[in-house]
Amino acid sequence: MMSTVTGHRTLVAIPAYNEAATIRNVVERVRQNLPDCDLLVVNDGSSDATAAMLDGTGATVVVHLCNLGYSRAIQTAMLYAERAGYDRLVTLDADGQHDPAQVRALLTEFDTGRWDVLIGSRYVVSRRYTGAPFGRRLGMRVFSSLVRLMAGRRVYDTTSGLKVVGRQTFAPLTSWQFIDFHAEALVYLMWLDFRIGEFPITVEERQHGTTMYSALSLIKYPLKTALMVVLGVVQANLTRRRHS
Amino acid sequence: MTAAGIVVGTIIGMALLLWVVNLVRQDRLYAGYGVIFVFGTIAAMAILVVPPLLRLATAASVALLPVPSLSLVALVILTFLMVYVFIQISTLSNRVMKLTQELAIRNAQQQHRAESTADRPR
Repeated sequence: MMSTVTGHRTLVAIPAYNEAATIRNVVERVRQNLPDCDLLVVNDGSSDATAAMLDGTGATVVVHLCNLGYSRAIQTAMLYAERAGYDRLVTLDADGQHDPAQVRALLTEFDTGRWDVLIGSRYVVSRRYTGAPFGRRLGMRVFSSLVRLMAGRRVYDTTSGLKVVGRQTFAPLTSWQFIDFHAEALVYLMWLDFRIGEFPITVEERQHGTTMYSALSLIKYPLKTALMVVLGVVQANLTRRRHS
Repeated sequence: MTAAGIVVGTIIGMALLLWVVNLVRQDRLYAGYGVIFVFGTIAAMAILVVPPLLRLATAASVALLPVPSLSLVALVILTFLMVYVFIQISTLSNRVMKLTQELAIRNAQQQHRAESTADRPR
């Protein structure tokens, strides 16, 4: 097992579902840019050649026998990290949108000790959702406002897949259901007094495959997230009361 | 709809809402199912309480008169039964999910241990 130069053990986790076209390249880039971090790929029941593409890459592969979805894949990575004694978990998308070279700066910021979760944010500098399609832009604005309304603080990029998550948040994030670890998870953590920060990153356009959101999920996803945001506040308050 | 009917309908709707929301919070009902029941119940309550909406719903379903109370009772029973069925599906789904995660982690840990042993110089 390796550790970073700061003495923290870091696990980089990549949830992958049918990402055969990009996964090998992403894994190689992570190994080149973050040689002091361990790497875990969560193969979330892929039916394509994702598993074959990971052969010989040296990454530890966790295989879900059936597709459980993005949030459960992240929870599996957290459970693995918790049991193996990692201090922090970095989550990256498997489609190659995130540049692993930018993770180093995120880890440096995280090491200041100011954050429990640090989000790689596309919009924290410009604070404008330019470049994204209209539906996505609208969703970002709505969820960002929802987080501000429910938690009192604005998070500009609630849907980013690039995050650094501290060990102290593994337990709350694996003991409840979340939709995609987006707005609902952030509000829940904020109500539990965890510190959420944003750090500027840039993302590349997806080259292969399709988004995990279907046409139907354009209606279902906001409703589910809104419900879970409200319930997250209730659940966090009950948890705090139980612990106090 | 009579005033008494509106009151009873609202009480039943609120009870269903609270039950479903609490089930989702307790992780006993998948949020995706919960959202269907929550918004379905809110829509049904709105139709029941707001007379123009009830008239619109009646006209939209090509009926001359609103559904009789007996049909509403049947609908309520059916909805509660559906929630129960979805709780069972969510329970099964949660068990499968936990089993899948546990299997995946244990296999990866075994693989990791085997690789560490193989790498160790003899």
